[in-house]
Amino acid sequence: MIRDILGYKCRKCGSISYPNHYRCPKCHHTEWRKMDVEFDTLPLPKNGTLLTYTHLYALPPDYEQVFLTLGIVELENGNRLTGQLKIEKPKIGMKVKGKVEVVRKTDYDKYYGIVFYES
Amino acid sequence: MREVYIVGIGITSFGRLEYPLVEIASYPSVVALQDAGLDTVDHLFVANMGGGRINHQTALSSAVLDHLSLWPAGSETIENGPASGSSAVKLGFQAIASGMCETVLVAGAERMSEVNQLDATDFVATLTHPMAEQIYGITLPALAGMFTRLYMEKYGVTRRHLAMVAVKNHGNAMDNFFAHVHTRVTLEGILDDRDAETNNPVIADPLHFFDMCPVSDGGAAVVLASKEVAKKLGKPMIRIAGVGQATDTHAVHERPDPTELTAVRLAAKRAFEMAKIEPKDVNVAELHDAFTILEIAESEEVGFFKKGEGHLALERGETQITGKIPINPSGGLKAKGHPVGATGVAQVHEIVLQLRGQAEKRQVKDPKIGFTCNFGGFGNNVVCTVIKKEE
Repeated sequence: MIRDILGYKCRKCGSISYPNHYRCPKCHHTEWRKMDVEFDTLPLPKNGTLLTYTHLYALPPDYEQVFLTLGIVELENGNRLTGQLKIEKPKIGMKVKGKVEVVRKTDYDKYYGIVFYES
Repeated sequence: MREVYIVGIGITSFGRLEYPLVEIASYPSVVALQDAGLDTVDHLFVANMGGGRINHQTALSSAVLDHLSLWPAGSETIENGPASGSSAVKLGFQAIASGMCETVLVAGAERMSEVNQLDATDFVATLTHPMAEQIYGITLPALAGMFTRLYMEKYGVTRRHLAMVAVKNHGNAMDNFFAHVHTRVTLEGILDDRDAETNNPVIADPLHFFDMCPVSDGGAAVVLASKEVAKKLGKPMIRIAGVGQATDTHAVHERPDPTELTAVRLAAKRAFEMAKIEPKDVNVAELHDAFTILEIAESEEVGFFKKGEGHLALERGETQITGKIPINPSGGLKAKGHPVGATGVAQVHEIVLQLRGQAEKRQVKDPKIGFTCNFGGFGNNVVCTVIKKEE
């Protein structure tokens, strides 16, 4: 099964944002339906350019590893994502490709998110 | 709008405190009331971030009010992340400026040592975006690390500059009895020595241990009053001349330029406009240096230095106590400590101490105007104040 990160497309101005906002960050448009806001969702591209990164050694207690590599990536469509990196020697400006994997496990839950690899 | 004066101040030692949270808030409150010469107030604001989560104490302000026997004054607990303290000062300011109150007690308190260091960092990380940041293991140090890497790349800031902030602020804290860390830090020890990597291990590269503030317990309080009351009390007339607040996107990656702290710039601008002064008029400042890079970045965004030149001013010693614009004479969050809810109130406490000329060995020479910047989230909710001494 291929998993995606979904971007939220405004039905009025067409801008795509991630994460979602109750009102469009660009035009403040809200479309109400069934007591809930409905944006059109669409899978975000997974390839992009690494903007910045860090190796984090002070991890939340539920991680059983020494460090995590985290970064911000600008995707091909201009949207940005924060995610984990599985890249040995990251460099600002390098091309990366993303895959949706388990990024965090707690006692009862697992969370899926984007992990970037060297492309 | 009525004028608002700071007539009393109080603080606890920062560090590990073996007292309940309610007492950490109450002690500086009593000190501040005594300093003001007031027996009671119209209203109490208590700034705190983690009471409900880590201390099992909700409705903290009611508990503190009861502890201080201040009934039937009104009270609220103010939670605005690491900017809770300044938010509470802002609300106290509004309560008096609006004419609703004559006197307000603002206390800030946090007791982080109830949990271990990892849980404390995890607790602070709950302020990040739950879907876009938190699930990845993002903590505040990680956001600061990514910010620092970009800043270094763009403006030529080096690890040496960051270490210079740590050395300066730890040096200032040596003269602050209430500071959390009383250790003289040298560039050799944390940067050049062959043991430097052991003394100063990497936490979120390029940030190292000595680029981070400690996890502290502590409390601070100030008493605010209208001009009429302040005159009667006969304390030095120290006025909150300007307050500004601004916000930014929750997820850091959504900001157009990740090296800009837009909320800091706007909050400072609003505070300066209300006070009708310019950044160059400020004689002493307390900036939110939870990470060393933030002192440099904020000193530029608030307008003390041009963008990208804060580290050069630091090199020239302009931010030392004897410099052109002394920054963090108290030791800052870096060395004085960062009990999150108390920090904003403690910054105001230090500025009042400086304006009154009571800062002893770390006294800045004859300051007239002070400035504070309290940075909530990773720059998504920022409160700045301008505080002025009147003759």
